[in-house]
Order: sequence, then C-alpha cells, then structure tokens
Amino acid sequence: MTGAEDGSVGPLREALMVCAASGTSGVLRITGDPGGTIHLTGGLVTAVETTGAPGPEVLLLRSHRVTESRWDAAFAAAATRGRPLSAELIAREIVGAGELEALLLTAMADAIFVLASGTVDEYRAEPGPSDGGLLLEPGAEAAGLLAEATRRIKVLASSPVPASDRRERLVAAPGAVRPGVRLGAGQDEILALADGRRTTRDLAFALGRGVYATTLRLAEMQAAGLLMTASAAAASRSARQAGHAAAGGGQESGDELPRRKGLAARAALPRRASAVRAPRGLLRPRSGRDGNPG
Amino acid sequence: MTDDALLAEMEALRERVTGITGSAVASRDGLNIREDTGGLDPDNLAALSASALSLAQRLASEAGQGTLRETVTRSSGGYVVVYAIGARAVLILIGDEGLDLARLHRESRGTVESIEKLLG
Repeated sequence: MTGAEDGSVGPLREALMVCAASGTSGVLRITGDPGGTIHLTGGLVTAVETTGAPGPEVLLLRSHRVTESRWDAAFAAAATRGRPLSAELIAREIVGAGELEALLLTAMADAIFVLASGTVDEYRAEPGPSDGGLLLEPGAEAAGLLAEATRRIKVLASSPVPASDRRERLVAAPGAVRPGVRLGAGQDEILALADGRRTTRDLAFALGRGVYATTLRLAEMQAAGLLMTASAAAASRSARQAGHAAAGGGQESGDELPRRKGLAARAALPRRASAVRAPRGLLRPRSGRDGNPG
Repeated sequence: MTDDALLAEMEALRERVTGITGSAVASRDGLNIREDTGGLDPDNLAALSASALSLAQRLASEAGQGTLRETVTRSSGGYVVVYAIGARAVLILIGDEGLDLARLHRESRGTVESIEKLLG
C-alpha cells in the first residue's frame, strides 16, 4: 500500500488540468500501470478507457441490466447510421437518458480512481476528433473527477479494514463456503469467483461492478474472515503441511503445491458448478438469466 | 519438472498482462500439455485452439499475408488469443473484456520463446 495515498493523482492531475485549462478536444493517452485513454471535448472528460476498470459496456452487460442481443442491435444500428451509440440506446429504450448519464459518470469516476491509484510513466495529449464509444455529453469537469478519486484513495488508506494490495489474488477462506448455506448480499457470487486466480480488478470485471465498490466489498469480506489473499492462504497451507510433516504424516505433502491442490479440488466439482467462473460466452451456452431471445 | 516450469512461465505472463484469466499450452495436434484455465475444459480448449491456429495459418497464406502472428477471437465476454510455439505447440490465452491486448502481444513473445525451449 506504500504510495497509495499519493499514487498518480499528481501526474494525472497535472495532465488533466492542462487539458481542462486549454479546453482540449481529443484524447489524453496515459502510459503506465494500468494506463489508459481519456477522451475530452472542450476540456471536459467524456469517456475514460482503461484495462484496469470495467467500462460502461461491461457494467451493463455483465450485470444483466441489458441483454446482449439488444446491445448488439443498438451497436450495429448506431454504426450504420453514423449516430452516437448513446442516442441509439436511449431511442431504443434500452436505458433511460438519466440512467445512462449516471452509469457513464460512475464508470468514469471509477476509471479515474484506478488511473490515480496506479502509476503514470508518461502522458500525451492528442487533439482531434474523439472516437470513444459511449460518450458523456456534456462531459464531466476534470477537477471534480480528480477530487473524487483523491477522496476514494483517502477512504481506502484510512479504512479500519485495509484493502489488500491490488496485485494480490483473493481466495475464499477455508470454511467460508458451506454447502446449503447462502450468505446473501452478493457474497456467495464473490466467494464462487474468488478462486485464488483473480485480483480485485479481475473480480470487478467478472461481477460487472466498479473497482472501488468491489475493493470496499472485498475488504469487508476479508475483515469478516470470508476471504483471504492467495499468498496468505498458501503460507497458512505450507505452515499446516510443515506441522503435518513434523508429526510424521508428510508422505504426500511434496505433491501438494498450492496451485495443484486448488485445481484438484475444483476438478472434483461438477462442471456446471464452475460455470460462473468461466468468461461469459466462451465454450458454454449463455445463461438464461438475461432472457436472450436469440 | 518441465510442467512446473511451464506453469511458472504461464503465471509470469498472467502477472505481467492485465486481464488474462487463464492460459494453456497444447500440442499442435490438439492435446492438452499444461493448463491453468480455472474451470474451462482444457481438452476442448486445446483441440479447438490447435484447429483455429492451423485454419488461421491457411487463411493468412491464402490471403498472401505472410507469417501468422497470432489469432485473436473477440467475444462480448472477452478474448481467446492463440500463439504458435514453434511447429509443435500452441499457447492459448483467455482474457476478459479489459485484456491489455497491446501489452499481451509484446510480452507473449518472450513467453513463447521460453516455452519453446522448455518443450525442447
């Protein structure tokens, strides 16, 4: 967590405020980890793309708020008519104008928070037409977005429940998943997805929720003893194995590398039970939940 | 031994590139060699990826476009990227919607080379 309080708010602020002051229209490319592209019109932020945070499309589709077939139809119609995707989504009543505005702003705030929490190696403004997919119009003030990102970073830094490092992969704590017991409030879905392979960012994408909201949720679940980091889980496993070996029963412990053990345990589950972990749309039928008429 | 070194290469790539959710190494004839795909069927994945790569190679050759670099399948829920590892194997990468494709193309070169050496 070192440096999290400061993060990239400094260089990101510098880059964004220069663009805001000069009324830039175009894109601001941020190179770093995760880095991204900020779309601007007249110095206002209209969209932010980054591999570090789910964009509006992921938020809408993964959360099943919008079906894929309707999204695809709107996308195709917008492309062929040369009309903005946002206008097409509203005209087709796929989302309301207010809902879409709120969603775009939410996704944007999350993306700026992620950029600000990461590292910025360099940035470059490229004036010109913006070709971002879903644009917030009019855009949002850069200063407001930066203030919100700073606030979020401070909340996480001062939280009594510290969030795990963003590179850490999370896993359900032993005993957290009990057959027939539902924890509710979305926690069961998180426990099913936390298989020791996903970081907070990966979980946010899989859930179709923002990284900040996901970070807070995961920290709560960690504090409640439901989740742990994969490194902590591996450490406690090897401690247990060492104890076991010392007690004279360590015959098979050499085979029990953390990764293999986890995979073997999952392989024993029925194939369908793991469907929630698979990237949607890959090698398996779509879930019926989105009511896709085909 | 080789298997664990293979897994280490696959995990190292996943650490370096945002958005990779799984990876696998398969033979060119479609048999799974090593997988870390977290719940996907590795045998189906191996068979389909080997076929997809050879089909893409024929397509590239038919279009007169030279050596195939990789195949990328983009779906609403993410990506499947397949790289050739020499003439005998393939590297399969599964990514979510936010996969950093540009970084993957850069970082995968070294991984492909290392895996090729490991496979001998």
